[in-house]
This record gives sequence, structure tokens and C-alpha cells, in this order.
Amino acid sequence: MNLKSMKKKANLATIYIISVAIIFTILVPVYFIFSISFLSTREAYQYPLPLFPELRSEIKLESGDRGVLLSIYDKRNHDYETLLDTSDFKKMSTYMRTNLSLNFTPEELEEKSSLLLTQSQVVFKARKDVLHNYKTFFQVTRDAIPALIRSIQIAFITILISLSIGGTAGYTLARYRFKGKHTLKFSILFVRMFPGVAIAMPMVIILANMGLYDQPLGLSLVYAIGSIALTTWITTSIFLGIPVELEEAAQVFGASKLRTFVNITLPLALPGLAASSMYAFLGAWNETISALILTQFKPTFAVVVYQALYGSTGQVNLTAAGGIAMAIPTLIFTFIIRKYINQMWGDVSV
Amino acid sequence: MSKEQTSKRRNWNQVGPYLLVAPALIYYVLFWIRPVFRTFLFSITDATGRLSLENFRLVLEDPTFIPAAQNTAIIVIFSVTLEFVAAMALALLINRKFKGSGILLFIAMIPMALAPVALGAMWKTGFTTHGWVNSFLTYIGFLDIGEKIIFLSGESRFKNLLLIILIDAWQVIPSMMIILLAGLQGLPKEMMEASYVFGANRWKTLRRITMPMLRPTIQTAVILRLISALQIWLTIVMLFGFGRVPVLLSRVIYYSEEVPNLTNSFRMSSTYSVVIAVIITIVAVMYLKVSGAFGRKNGGERS
Repeated sequence: MNLKSMKKKANLATIYIISVAIIFTILVPVYFIFSISFLSTREAYQYPLPLFPELRSEIKLESGDRGVLLSIYDKRNHDYETLLDTSDFKKMSTYMRTNLSLNFTPEELEEKSSLLLTQSQVVFKARKDVLHNYKTFFQVTRDAIPALIRSIQIAFITILISLSIGGTAGYTLARYRFKGKHTLKFSILFVRMFPGVAIAMPMVIILANMGLYDQPLGLSLVYAIGSIALTTWITTSIFLGIPVELEEAAQVFGASKLRTFVNITLPLALPGLAASSMYAFLGAWNETISALILTQFKPTFAVVVYQALYGSTGQVNLTAAGGIAMAIPTLIFTFIIRKYINQMWGDVSV
Repeated sequence: MSKEQTSKRRNWNQVGPYLLVAPALIYYVLFWIRPVFRTFLFSITDATGRLSLENFRLVLEDPTFIPAAQNTAIIVIFSVTLEFVAAMALALLINRKFKGSGILLFIAMIPMALAPVALGAMWKTGFTTHGWVNSFLTYIGFLDIGEKIIFLSGESRFKNLLLIILIDAWQVIPSMMIILLAGLQGLPKEMMEASYVFGANRWKTLRRITMPMLRPTIQTAVILRLISALQIWLTIVMLFGFGRVPVLLSRVIYYSEEVPNLTNSFRMSSTYSVVIAVIITIVAVMYLKVSGAFGRKNGGERS
């Protein structure tokens, strides 16, 4: 008995060790990209990269050879690092904003420096603008904001198309027996097996003929192909979960088919439908390859971020900010629908 | 219910379902079958519109085709095997409810939730020489201060592919583990217990009872994984560019985005995408056949 309980404890210990190892492996990269996205450019060029972004910086101003000497306290070396010697406060202000993520107007700096007439140095602490990289990313990346709006538009049109068409198909598969039902189910899976690129290439011509090339609606039409299949798949299982007796009862009391659907079935299916629309959103938001091929002057946000990141080389903090901006909606939505993700993989739940 | 009503209902039951699935079917004819057909047609006609296999010759003669196909094959074979084995082992080890299992599953979802572009950014900031991977190795004392490992030199093919496989494993293993774990927890416990009672050891129970019962879950997980592994490109392009570690899908992007104005560009990328589609279909059908999915009536889905 004692041996058995010891063995049980040892097993549990193994489980915990493995769990901690998994969590650690997952969180380290995620932590780093988050933390890097808040680094100032000066910090981003340090090696090794700081573990934590500084939130406050200590600045020292002294009289220099050419004007005012700007230094920042370096926690690593426990000493001030001299950065700039200038009498041009505009230049100093720009330098502080771009390299240190500190926002000071030239006038403020001039005012602070005027104290140097009476004392040998001016030391002050300042709050770092932690969102600086995000602001810069949206400012310097051409098209970032219109692309963001476009991506949201595209996602919503995709949801609309796939819910109306896929949802109807899903309901039908769940409620009716008819010839060819199983073939239809299989073909839905087959549609998803076919790579998106193979459809995107000819779609260039098809959409151009329809006047929809490089238009949000055109991309939605392409994205809906995959998401109709997925929506059908998910909604079938959702409608299967709603007892058919409820519908029959409503009909016995004289409600029409349509009325039953709107008043009884739809409200019950709503959470599941919301989940499948989030899937459609994620698909449209994340997709990069068809968007690259099917857009020219009106890229989606994924394309803009991809191009910005592909071209960039040195600035890790800006790269990280772009990546995080892209990741946040997908993280939020995935966690909202996590219950349904497991349903997709056969009828299992965690 | 009157006779008329009954016959009306019968009519509806015969025609209704087809009317309701018609929009989906029409959509697929217009926006799926038509483009797929066009791609095939495009790939087997030459510049003047005559039937020829000229495009496939161009693709096969593309000096990057063979390395791209090899790289894709290596990545698919090794990453899917590694990911499945690791995920299965982890799922079996932690197949039990314990305090904090919810947190583990929650965190294991993060890699799946990250957008591909975000993943690209994550590994790009990580594997540059002054990136966070080297910094992290310095902090934990694996590297001396100032020492750096050059990850992306691109010279050793083995090293490049290993890096890609590891990156892919980071993203896929946790989510595959969740799926398998969910499958395991859905199995009736009695079968396994009975097997122990009759004297079977753990390994035998796993092979004879657990794995066969888990087969539908495994099939779904592996087939979707195979399909997406064959289409790997974004992280690779972000880390190595188009030239150093070519894969099949990155060739499509290369021709359509990087050199869009060559006379052959459009035909090359179309034909490459046909080649990829054919390979994926063959691999998927082969896998389904070998794993016996066609034997089951409902194709891994309850009805």
C-alpha cells in the first residue's frame, strides 16, 4: 500500500516536471517577443538584449564642448553613458524620441538645460513611452492603417458569406437524410485539402474579369471557399447537438418551419455560430499567401506586416511590435473559442 | 394532419435538402471547381494556348525545383514524425486530471493561436545573431558574455533544416498534444482496465487497445498536419529569404511576388501551385488509404 502511494506520488511529480518544462518552452519565446516590442531602439541594440524593458530612464544633462551633453544611466554598467553633445534642442528632442522612446519637446529640454547656468548637472527621471514602437510601426509602415481597416472589412464579409451559405448547408446535413449526404461531407473535407495557392493563381484572372481584383470583396470570395467548408463542418455538429424534439414540438403547436428555425433553433445555435464566425475571422485575418497574390495596391494587414518584416533587418523592436500587432486579435479570438476547437477533432472535450 | 399537408411535407423532404445545400454547391462550382480547372488547364497549355507540357518542363528544369522538393520532403517527413511521436508521448504521460492541468492546456494553445506572420517575427527577432535566443542562452549561462551562435549562416543545409523543423515543432507539438489528450480522455476507461486485469502490460495495452481506439483522432490530426506541413513557407522565407532554403510553396511566391515581370513568371507560379496541389492530394489520399480511413463509413465523423 505504502509502495503504491509512493509510486503514485512519483508519477505525479513526473507529470508536474513535464508540464513545467512544456510551459517554460512555450512561454520563453512568447515572453521575449512581447518584451522586445517595448524596448527602445538603444536597448534593442544592446547585447545581450535586456530581459525587461526599462520603464523609466534616468537622464543627465551637462555642459559639453559643443553645447549640452546628454547622458543616460546604464543599469548594467552602473554608470552614465554619454550619447549626444549638441546645442540644437530640436535635434536632441528627435534623438530622444527615436532612440530612447522619451517624449520631450525642444522647449522643455531648453528649459531644463537653462538650469545648467546655476548648477553643474541636471539629473531627471522620465517615463518611457512604452508604446513607441507600435506608434512608429503604424507611422512608418506605408498603408498600415488602411490595410488594418481593409482586413477587418474582408473578415466580416467572409463571415457573412460563410455563415449564410455554410450555416444552411450545416443545418441541412444535420437535419435531413438524403442521397449523397456522405459524399457531400467528404467533399467538404476535400475542399480544405486543396492548397489555397492553387486557387489564388487562376482567381487573379477570374476576379479581374469580375472587376474585383485587388478589392476587399474579391479576397472575401476566395477566403469564403475555405471557411464555408469549415462553417458547414462546425455547424453540422452544433445543430446535431440541438434536440430535434424541440423543433417538432414547436411545429405541433402550429409554428411554420421558418418560424421554428428563427425562434427555437437559431437562439440555441447562436454560441456555436459565433464560434464558427471567429474561425472565419481568424482564417481571413491570418491568411497571407492568397492575399499576396490577389492584392496589388490594396494589401491586407497581414501582407503589410509580412512585407515590413521581410524587408527589415536590424530593428528587432519594430519587428516585434509588428508581430504583436498581428497576433493580438488572433490570441483573443482563439481563447474565446477554445471550447469549440476540440469539437472539430472528433467529438472530444478536454 | 390532413392528407394534403402530409404530401406537402413529403415533397419538401425530397426537394428541400437539395435546395438548402444548393448555394454551397453553386459557390463551389463557381469559386472552387472553376479556378481549379483553370489552373490545370493553364498548366498544360503553352504561351500560345496550345496543349503542351512545356510548363512542367520549365518547372523541372528550374534549378531550384529539386532542392525545393527535397527540402519540402525532408521537412514534412521529419517534422510530422517528430511532432506526432513527441505529442503522443506527452499526451500519454500527462493523461490524467491534476491540479493545474487547465493552465497547461491554456498555455499550450498559445503557439496555435499566433498568426503565421507573428511567428515569423518571433523567430526572426530570435535567430538574428544579436537576437533573443543568443541573449537567453547567455542569461542561463550556456554562452559566455559576448559569445554568439550564428544560426542563419545558411551554409549548412542540415543545420538550416534542423532549425526549421525545431521551430515547426515548437508551434505544432503543444496543439497536437491537446488534441490527442482530448481523444485519450474521451476513451472509455473500462477497456484499458480490462486489459490490465487480463495480464497485458502497459505497452501491449497501448498498442492493442488505446492506439486503435484513438485512431480517428490520430488520423484527423495527422492528415491536417501533413497538409499544412507541405505548405510551409512563411517562417522559412522570413529567416532565410527565398534563395537559401527553398521549399515548393516559396517558389510560388517567388515567381508571383519577387520576379512578377518575367515572361514566364505567371506560368511558373501557376504550374508550381498545380504541382503542390497534386503532391498534397497524392500524399493525403495515400495516408488515408494506409491508415484505413476509407474503411470507416463516416470518415472520422460522427453522424
